[in-house]
Amino acid sequence: MRRFNGRQRTALLFGLAVLFLILITLLGQLYAEEAMATDFSRKDRAPCLAYLFGTDWMGRDMFVRTLTGLSMSIRIGLLAAGVSALLALLLGIVSATMGRAVDAVVTWVIDLVMGIPHILLLILISYACGKGFRGVVIGVSLTHWTSLARLIRGEVLQLKEAEYIKVAGKLGLSPWQIASKHMVPHLFPQFLVGLILLFPHAILHEASITFLGFGLSPEQPAIGVILSESMQYLAMGKWWLALFPGLLLVLTVVLFDVAGESLRKLLSPGSAQV
Amino acid sequence: MKNKWISFMIAAILGAGMLTACGSGKEAPGGDAIGQETQGVRTESPSGAAEDSVIVAMGPNSEPEAGFDPAYGWGAGEHVHEPLIQSTLTVTNPDLSIGYDLATGMEVSEDGMTWTVTIRDDVKFTDGEPLTASDVAFTYNTVKAVSSVNDFTMLKEAKAVDDTTVEFHMAQAYSIWPYTMAIVGIVPEHAYGPDYGEHPIGSGRYLMKQWDKGQQIILEANPDYYGEEIKMKRVTVVFMEEDAAFAAAKAGQVDLAYTAAAYSDQAVDGYELLSFETVDNRGFNLPAIPAGTDEAGNAVGNDFTSDVEVRRAINIGLDRQEMLEHVVNSYGTPAYSVCDKMPWYNSVAEVTYDPEKAKAILEEAGWIEGADGIREKNGVQAAFRLLYPANDSLRQALAADTQNQLAKLGIEVTIEGVGWDTAYDRAQAEPLMWGWGAHSPMELYNIYHTLENGLAGFSPYSNETVDRYMDEALAAGDLEDSYELWQKAQWDGSTGVTQEGDIPWIWLVNIDHLYWSRENLQVAEQKLHPHGHGWSIVNNVDQWSWK
Repeated sequence: MRRFNGRQRTALLFGLAVLFLILITLLGQLYAEEAMATDFSRKDRAPCLAYLFGTDWMGRDMFVRTLTGLSMSIRIGLLAAGVSALLALLLGIVSATMGRAVDAVVTWVIDLVMGIPHILLLILISYACGKGFRGVVIGVSLTHWTSLARLIRGEVLQLKEAEYIKVAGKLGLSPWQIASKHMVPHLFPQFLVGLILLFPHAILHEASITFLGFGLSPEQPAIGVILSESMQYLAMGKWWLALFPGLLLVLTVVLFDVAGESLRKLLSPGSAQV
Repeated sequence: MKNKWISFMIAAILGAGMLTACGSGKEAPGGDAIGQETQGVRTESPSGAAEDSVIVAMGPNSEPEAGFDPAYGWGAGEHVHEPLIQSTLTVTNPDLSIGYDLATGMEVSEDGMTWTVTIRDDVKFTDGEPLTASDVAFTYNTVKAVSSVNDFTMLKEAKAVDDTTVEFHMAQAYSIWPYTMAIVGIVPEHAYGPDYGEHPIGSGRYLMKQWDKGQQIILEANPDYYGEEIKMKRVTVVFMEEDAAFAAAKAGQVDLAYTAAAYSDQAVDGYELLSFETVDNRGFNLPAIPAGTDEAGNAVGNDFTSDVEVRRAINIGLDRQEMLEHVVNSYGTPAYSVCDKMPWYNSVAEVTYDPEKAKAILEEAGWIEGADGIREKNGVQAAFRLLYPANDSLRQALAADTQNQLAKLGIEVTIEGVGWDTAYDRAQAEPLMWGWGAHSPMELYNIYHTLENGLAGFSPYSNETVDRYMDEALAAGDLEDSYELWQKAQWDGSTGVTQEGDIPWIWLVNIDHLYWSRENLQVAEQKLHPHGHGWSIVNNVDQWSWK
């Protein structure tokens, strides 16, 4: 590690985290079919060389099931966090530039969404959208944009007062040109970091509402399904059904966190010391 | 590095916290009964406990939500059982024939439209008032007017002729009326009101002493009971989830705890695993008409399963014995009908597993294997979606095993967990893994008899001959005579609902009901349990004893 300076180490960390996440996603996709396969001749096996994470009561291989579940979680996380972040960017900018009335409405909506308990709103939206993949994505997207939107709104308000923006206005650039040419590039780092830091939330929330039965359907190898199924087998001493999937979920979440933090340091080195 | 560890720890704690916080929402309502409520739970060794009391653990769904009122499903609901607190006119014997409780005799008019039942004159409610025929009439008129969980449309009116004679005037002939009389507990006319469910008064073997909702029910022997001496003076029923019941047995806090086959390879010190045969069956429907839509635009019928040869091939192409080993560790019996071993069961339904013949049937019917190993005929794939209730791991496993077995025949099955909010509608077009089994032939009628729209209610199917036999069975004057007609409805030599007939439902297994029982507890002989792993076990708790 000595051979790399701090910045390179951070970049390396970022690269490794992202690589690992991409690997999980691809492997999960690759084994998608196998994760659903049941084989009763190998049911209830404890972890061994052939089945690293053991098998469940229908003889499903928990290793590929966990990989596929995480892969599904990551894909849902990507989609939901992406939509959520875009929503935040749009509303943040609109709120800061379109005048007082619009600002008041957007701020009010932000307060409203933040005021309702997250998980409750998520369940309601997911249920109303018919649960499943679509329900989860819409639910997570619609509940996670608020803090990022508030952050971006603040930034834009600050930017509006900046000299170069005022000059651009005086030079006759339209608000749209100012927004796209001068503001978005400035906001991009915050946006990107915000986006990546949304992933862990999205993934954990996907797992929890699926766990509660309002998310993905039970035959799908989602982490929430795996963990809620494992509950009834814990009393029988089948610890592996919960331990490995749970650990890998935590690991994935931490890796996203690491990736986000590293990216923040790389994009705005000044904040690295904070 | 330190920061990283801290962030890892925090993430781990948050992750765990998030999921366990969610987990607490799912916890059994009775789960904490053990910790806080010691009243119903053994805190000492069984030898120190009272000789004539017993603690039984049942699932949380067994707690009667609306209380102990037959009009709201107590005894006479979806899962039938003896009402214990109330008496019934008749009872079902161990062989599921009819015996008497309150009744001393019954007669039916030749047209089947009037049942006359005479009752005992020495029975008192637990408040001291005598039980008379007017109480019986009141009970039946009440359940007819109120019950939303059981069908009483066949009854027009109940009338007390004198103190010990009651007449049932029927709206339609109903030869199996004695089976209905076996589940309706008689309530006192003078003490019946909106809160009856919570403060029941009856004339049965037990009085309700205490009910802590979400936790336990305590029953005490009725000192004035007119029947056989009650050996178990005090019965406590605690409600908990499967894993909590298992833990309670392990801790020695209950005397008998319901359990599932998944636990059968475990051992509990001082307890034995009791297994009782049932007619608690599982099977799936095969929509017997081609795909289309009904008036409301819902999908009805299925192009693959509407081919009767396909249904016959599936029925003999499934190895039920292997399924039992795989799914319930062999705690069960193969099922061939909805009413195996009942007096109205037609044993022609039984088939032997023959995968080669199943394949031959499919070939002959024109279902030819394609390049992907899946059969096809005229552009229709030999494939269907098999639904199962999302929270039922047993039915999920049965669906998965069916999927594996049918794949060997060249039939592609995909399985999907669904909620009951959509399951009934979707089952009109796609097979669903059901659970049935009752102590009444009426179940045959509900499953196979057509409704006004010309199709059976739970899965589209119709056969006029089958309908006619069941109509005749209901109209038969004598109960014994009706059995033969019910059997003919299943197979009369040329048509029916069995293998050589239309086979619109595939029955897979009857699930044994399993219990952890304290080794010195003598559980009295059980009749075949119906669907529902609940109160049936205590049908004869008064005759249990300690060794």
